Amino acid sequence: MKTHGGKLVKVRLPVLLLTLAGSMLCMRAHAQVVVIANSSVGATAISKAELRDVFTGASSNLKGGMQVLPVLQKQGVVNSGFLNLYVGKSDSAFRASWRSILFSGQGAMPRTLESDAAVVEYVAHTAGAIGYIGETTPHEGVKILVVR
Amino acid sequence: MKQLMIAAIAFASMWPCGGVLASAQSMDDLNLQVHGYATQGFVYSTNNNWDTTSSTDGSAAWTEAVVNLTAQPQSRLRVGVQARYFLLGNYGNSITLDWAQADYKASDKFGFRVGKVKTPMGLLNESQDIDPAQLWVLLPQSVYPIASRNSLLSHYGGVAYGRLPLGEKLGTLEYRGFGGQRIIGADDGFVQPFKDQGITVPSGFTGPLFGGTLRWNTPVQGLTMGATRDVERLSAAIYSHSMPGTLTVPALESSYFFGRYEHNKLMVAGEYNRVILNSDIQFAGIPAILVRYDVRGFYAMASYRLSDRLTSGLYYGSMINLQLPVSSGRYQKDWALCARYDFNPFLYAKIEQHIIDGTGSGFSTSDNSALQPNTRMTMLKLGVSF
Repeated sequence: MKTHGGKLVKVRLPVLLLTLAGSMLCMRAHAQVVVIANSSVGATAISKAELRDVFTGASSNLKGGMQVLPVLQKQGVVNSGFLNLYVGKSDSAFRASWRSILFSGQGAMPRTLESDAAVVEYVAHTAGAIGYIGETTPHEGVKILVVR
Repeated sequence: MKQLMIAAIAFASMWPCGGVLASAQSMDDLNLQVHGYATQGFVYSTNNNWDTTSSTDGSAAWTEAVVNLTAQPQSRLRVGVQARYFLLGNYGNSITLDWAQADYKASDKFGFRVGKVKTPMGLLNESQDIDPAQLWVLLPQSVYPIASRNSLLSHYGGVAYGRLPLGEKLGTLEYRGFGGQRIIGADDGFVQPFKDQGITVPSGFTGPLFGGTLRWNTPVQGLTMGATRDVERLSAAIYSHSMPGTLTVPALESSYFFGRYEHNKLMVAGEYNRVILNSDIQFAGIPAILVRYDVRGFYAMASYRLSDRLTSGLYYGSMINLQLPVSSGRYQKDWALCARYDFNPFLYAKIEQHIIDGTGSGFSTSDNSALQPNTRMTMLKLGVSF
């Protein structure tokens, strides 16, 4: 019985681990994000380059000259999904680059909010604000920017 | 005051993460932000003591703590101040003003900062002291010697800056023009070579500076290339065995050429730097002594992010002072292998191993009765930021 149980564990453990890893990969793959903006932002679309520049502090304006205010999210699936997709940095590398800007006096840290709902709430009520949320999150009061 | 500042940072860093975020978050009405970081380093070296530490016995005399306060009363105007406690061996052990400035950014194309501002020289000068932003425990000393860091980081005056689009096929061009007054403290590493010659500089050096940096963000995603030119004139009151004199540097000229490429988990960078210094030492009744330095340094570095939390890197740096006689003191070659682990967004640790040939930077006869040509150095650092 013990041997049988041991075999079961031996067989099932790798399967379990594979399933777990697979489901984590699926979670990552499904961490789709959308970019939202306050209604005062004139644009309806934004390029990946503009998005990267705004969220890395390289630029504070969109192409048309509109000044925008990026809003970050705390660590999580949506945050890492956004950073991987549009910024090309891990969370720690991304925050390290902002610390470089902050402590060298070249800029202030963007506001960091706790959840999708908090980002929607803030972006809806702040002129020029631009943020990112999970695609299934309700987003009344904000506009979605198409990323080209 | 020092203890108070360190205690404040330690207290803030011990706060639960959410609390830290909340306290570091901008306060709504005044757009106020408070941030900081603190680091503790340890260095062990063979053969030679490094930069005034007793590193051959193992030294923990390497502590930094920084507090930063920024307010943004208008969307285009930002004011801020940053204070630093710095201790490295016999250097520092005092609180200094990193920068205190007003920054007006009219648009991406033009902005300016005035006050005590960071000097935008080379690839890394503005950020070389910001340990939480760096992979390395020690940046390549061939171009960014830590002993002179506090003085060369910033100046009193201003910086005009901007970012100009060159079209989709040409990328963007960033410019920084700077000018003002340089003040090099009496305890700075810049003064060490004079101390080694028996010359004291009790009030440090002062003088005007001006220069500029251009950075071209090429159309190749992640590739940046640039150059800096900096010209300074410095003077100081000096003493040799209580005999008063003057030391003037009519021309201290620095040039930097650099490039960096980042793609996903990979970063490679390189930089070449040349510093030419002509100084004139005068004591009453003695003919003027002319001293010339012509220091050339470069480094090449690469890093790779092994996981979200672990990054590793390797660099090679080399410098030579062509005006010194042939010996191991006129050059330095340094291989460094480093790893950084981020426990969470606030706490990190670094480990770095150096294999050094020559004693041209960071090794002084004041700290070593008989300098040896080779040194192995192991460095550890623990840091917290909020």
